[in-house]
Amino acid sequence: MRVMNIEGIITWLLKIVLSPQVFAPIVFPGLLTALMVLLIIIWAERKIAARVQMRVGPLYVTRRLGGVLQMLADGARYMFQEFIIPDSADKTPFVVAPVMALTLAIVPFAFIPSAPGFVPIKSQYSLPAVLALISTIPLSVMLMGWASNNKFAIQGAVREAFMGLAYEAVVFLSALAMGLLYGTLDLEEAVTKQWLPGLLLNPIAAFTFFVGMVMSAGKLPFDIVEGEQEIVAGPYVEYSGIIFGIGMGLAYLKLYSLTLIYSILFLSGWNPVITPLYSIYPGLAGIFLFIKSFLLMLFIVFLRAVYGRYRLDQALRAGWRVYLPLSLIAVLLSIFLRVVNIV
Amino acid sequence: MSGGEKVKVLEETFTRLGVQVSVLDRRVRVIALPESLRKVAEEALSLGFDHLVSIEGIDWPQNNTIEVVYHAESYNDDLRSLLLEIRVRVPRDNPRLESLIDVWPNAILLERETWEMLGVVFEGNPDLRHLLLPPWWSEIPPLRKDYKVQEEGIYVDLE
Amino acid sequence: MSTSSENGVVYSRLIAKEGDESIYELFIGPQHPSSGHMRFIVRLEGDIIVSVDPDIGYVHRTMEKLAEGREVIKAIPLLERMTIIDSHNVTLGLVLALEKLLDVEAPPRAQYLRVLLSEINRISSHLYGLGIAGIMLNHSTMFMWAFGDREVWIQLAEDLTGARLTHTYSVPGGVRRDMPQAFPERAEKAIRYMERRLKDYMEIFLDNPQVRSRYEGVGVLKKSEASRLGIVGPNLRASGVKYDARLAEGYAAYPDLEFEIPMREDGDCLARMQVRVEEIRQSMSLIRQVIKKLPQGPIFAEKYTRLLPPAIRQQVAQTGQVKFPGIFASLKLPEGDAVSRVEMGHGEIFYHVTGAGSTKPYRLRVVTPSFRNVILFRYLMPGHRFMDFPAIYGSLDYFPPEGDR
Repeated sequence: MRVMNIEGIITWLLKIVLSPQVFAPIVFPGLLTALMVLLIIIWAERKIAARVQMRVGPLYVTRRLGGVLQMLADGARYMFQEFIIPDSADKTPFVVAPVMALTLAIVPFAFIPSAPGFVPIKSQYSLPAVLALISTIPLSVMLMGWASNNKFAIQGAVREAFMGLAYEAVVFLSALAMGLLYGTLDLEEAVTKQWLPGLLLNPIAAFTFFVGMVMSAGKLPFDIVEGEQEIVAGPYVEYSGIIFGIGMGLAYLKLYSLTLIYSILFLSGWNPVITPLYSIYPGLAGIFLFIKSFLLMLFIVFLRAVYGRYRLDQALRAGWRVYLPLSLIAVLLSIFLRVVNIV
Repeated sequence: MSGGEKVKVLEETFTRLGVQVSVLDRRVRVIALPESLRKVAEEALSLGFDHLVSIEGIDWPQNNTIEVVYHAESYNDDLRSLLLEIRVRVPRDNPRLESLIDVWPNAILLERETWEMLGVVFEGNPDLRHLLLPPWWSEIPPLRKDYKVQEEGIYVDLE
Repeated sequence: MSTSSENGVVYSRLIAKEGDESIYELFIGPQHPSSGHMRFIVRLEGDIIVSVDPDIGYVHRTMEKLAEGREVIKAIPLLERMTIIDSHNVTLGLVLALEKLLDVEAPPRAQYLRVLLSEINRISSHLYGLGIAGIMLNHSTMFMWAFGDREVWIQLAEDLTGARLTHTYSVPGGVRRDMPQAFPERAEKAIRYMERRLKDYMEIFLDNPQVRSRYEGVGVLKKSEASRLGIVGPNLRASGVKYDARLAEGYAAYPDLEFEIPMREDGDCLARMQVRVEEIRQSMSLIRQVIKKLPQGPIFAEKYTRLLPPAIRQQVAQTGQVKFPGIFASLKLPEGDAVSRVEMGHGEIFYHVTGAGSTKPYRLRVVTPSFRNVILFRYLMPGHRFMDFPAIYGSLDYFPPEGDR
């Protein structure tokens, strides 16, 4: 009988936790980092909007730090609020749909590499896999709207379906353009092939992916799904308690995954790699990737202070008449750059 | 045409219709009968008074009549400082008047308000239902003088 | 009912339609973040609005009946609450009608001071309208900026009258308080600040291409329709009709002052918002003129101040704060009636006061501009998309407490 000593158990545990398969989706840039980003980015959105609008924003929760932990207080409040399920709602989908949405928003982290060689599932097709997973989130939102059995919720679900039609093709084609340019659909190799950031190699694809990203995450000027002035929070209208908090945070999680992909494809990912950090532990070298995507998120939430909301048919028209042809042109540009052997 | 001359023209037109006209300080007051109301209104429309400002009902219980007062206004440059006032009296226990929607379209909401507040029925108005009062209102029209507002005392005794 | 527009108005749009099973009915009810204090029954066919029925009356405060039950001088603070954001213009109409009935005239200095407060209130009311239009498009910056800048004007009004919103400034015979010494400098500072801010508003809201795409060509009101339906205010002037009750009636000191009536021809939502911004500029120029041309003299009519004891009369002349003579508590209205029209921020308000020889008015009729504009909800909406509904609502500047009285 082998003797198991404490040292052996601790080493075994550490090996499991620090393996890419556990560290990346759970700690960084996965679940825990995502939740912390959620905390900070919503606070940052409110603070930035407040500064533009001549007011102060959240202040009182941790007064010395400028109210940073406001969202923690909000989250705690949601935890203690009663989760009411309406009688006329369809109970199982009503409860399952937001949980499904949250899971689908976290699963893409299984494919996103955060440092060279540090990815939970190494696959040649990580880019289409991530995009496919992100594009299933609208299905769960529609399920939320349908299960609520409320006219405003159904209107919101229908709007989500329409918006999905508007941006999906744009996002896919722009990502495909970059895949053609780098000659690979693997996110890790896409970073190594970028001797210039993808933004400068194919600016058209960068632009259309950016707009598609804003549409997908439902940020102003495209926050049509939760249009408060017409349909009162859309599909989330019947939800209360922590599920409502999850629903509100869902858009930001989607935004986080998409900005990570944007940084990998267009902003040369985790370059420059800090070699000392890399030699300590590879997962930590992804700090630049995280900083880039966070700055991009800050810019996107700043747009709230500038724009109003577009009408649904205007967003659809923009998606199909402007951005889809532009992304096709981006594909052609990528083909041209490959032929001329720039990459 | 100056203001004074325009007033003369108005006076003459309405006197020709056989109704009582008087002028008080930029208001041309016409006292009409319920039968001649429509003719007066159409004449006013042709003169340029193309919309109503207000329809008002005044309750005179001592004469047993309700007086309905129409104020018409015009945006034209020469008529805009004048107001045309048409007064009609209807019996208090059966107040019925012809609806003037096809002469002045914005009477549609004003007549609704006068109906619910004073009980004057405008025949021909397709939309006579409660506007400001709640739909379950079952008492007499509130702007009549015999409608007593129920008041509550401030002081309450312990029973 | 003819459906043609031979009279200038399409009659089929004036009646609310019920529709069959393919119509989707939504109650934008009073429990809604952006319906105001009223309910809309919106009938949709797909995404196109078929009809909208505005269901007003949720804040009906029975002001006409209340005014019949109390002395006429008490009707002034009562009616002020109809449109509290614009309170001087609302009561000025009543005061003018009472002055006609009681045969008293306000001295010239009081007339100029009335213009001063009217214009400050007009700016405040238009800023409120701009803010609400902004938040209807979810443009929170416009909302916050407009309401923050309103504070400047409310504080100016507080300097002049002592109260932020409930001024009760005009009384039959004059005004209640004189202008303080430091007022002209503060007004000039406020005007210069507002001129800078108006440029910011144009950049972020009215010249913002995204907002323009929501507003251009939406909710078009033709000139003939506007005139036929009796629409008032900036909604009328944006459709090309040059009408302003300040010109038509010529009350207070307006005949001596120079101002323009901003107008647009398009009649869509953008035109209405632009007219409001232009009117703010005109109001600021009027305030400058009033401060320059303000004549010296008493602020309360001689007919009433000679009823005060001499010591109080001197106090009134020195401090500039008016004391009412005892007769004001039981002011008797003679037999007869009077009308008056005043231009508020939202449009023209109409008063008709009938007296019967007692201290209480026999009948007080008031038609507010929002009540005259309600018909636009039913008239403009059919044929637009559902998301145009808040855009049109915001641009009409409808104020429910004023519409319901």
